[in-house]
Amino acid sequence: MDSPNVSRKLCKGQGYTFTFLSDPKAEVIRRYDLLHVGGGPGDVDISRPAEFLVDSSGIVRWVNFTEDVRVLARADEILAAAKALK
Amino acid sequence: MKASSSATGVDYQLSRTTLWVGVLITVLGVASNWLYFVNLPGQRILPWINLVLPAVGLLVLFLALWRAYARRGRFGGKLLAPVFVLICTPLVAMSVWGFFHARNVPPSLGAPLVGQKAPYFVLVSSAGESVSLSQMLSERMGNSAPPKAVLLIFYRGYW
Repeated sequence: MDSPNVSRKLCKGQGYTFTFLSDPKAEVIRRYDLLHVGGGPGDVDISRPAEFLVDSSGIVRWVNFTEDVRVLARADEILAAAKALK
Repeated sequence: MKASSSATGVDYQLSRTTLWVGVLITVLGVASNWLYFVNLPGQRILPWINLVLPAVGLLVLFLALWRAYARRGRFGGKLLAPVFVLICTPLVAMSVWGFFHARNVPPSLGAPLVGQKAPYFVLVSSAGESVSLSQMLSERMGNSAPPKAVLLIFYRGYW
């Protein structure tokens, strides 16, 4: 939900090369039903973590909804799911 | 005389052992919270480890405290047991609180499931360009074909 400017600083600082999108009004977060009302510090609305692997026809083929925000999807799990799409 | 003094000696050792076992389990349990930062497999079990281990450690510390004071005689840990209980109780409380706070996520019942269409969207990238989902799915990088899939990562930003 950071603005594009904030995200650009983050990407530059961290060296990210993937596409980084901003959703400051949480429109897409809401569309995907991922809004965590008051879940951030200072009771701000925040996105809950989730990953979706979407194939070329726009269909979701793999999801990860962690039930504990400290447990993150591992890169090898996601790559395995992506490989399985062949 | 001899029998009772050796029995006292064993009890002394036992209460000291209980104390240090309690400290060890508690420290390991609380320290396990740092494992989230390490790229290890099997992380799904980690929340249960840093919930149960510190709680068990604290219980053992209270047992050591009881052992030190509840019976007459010279039992080890009269000073150390209360000190460790005082230090460890807030640490364990934090670890237990962390468990419930981290699992306080909304159910997200309306999110797209496997087999459903991913909702369309257009958002602004950090480069200032408009990017849509269909754009990303059909984008050609250099001379290669469009991607087989796009990974959407919704991140929380902080804990």
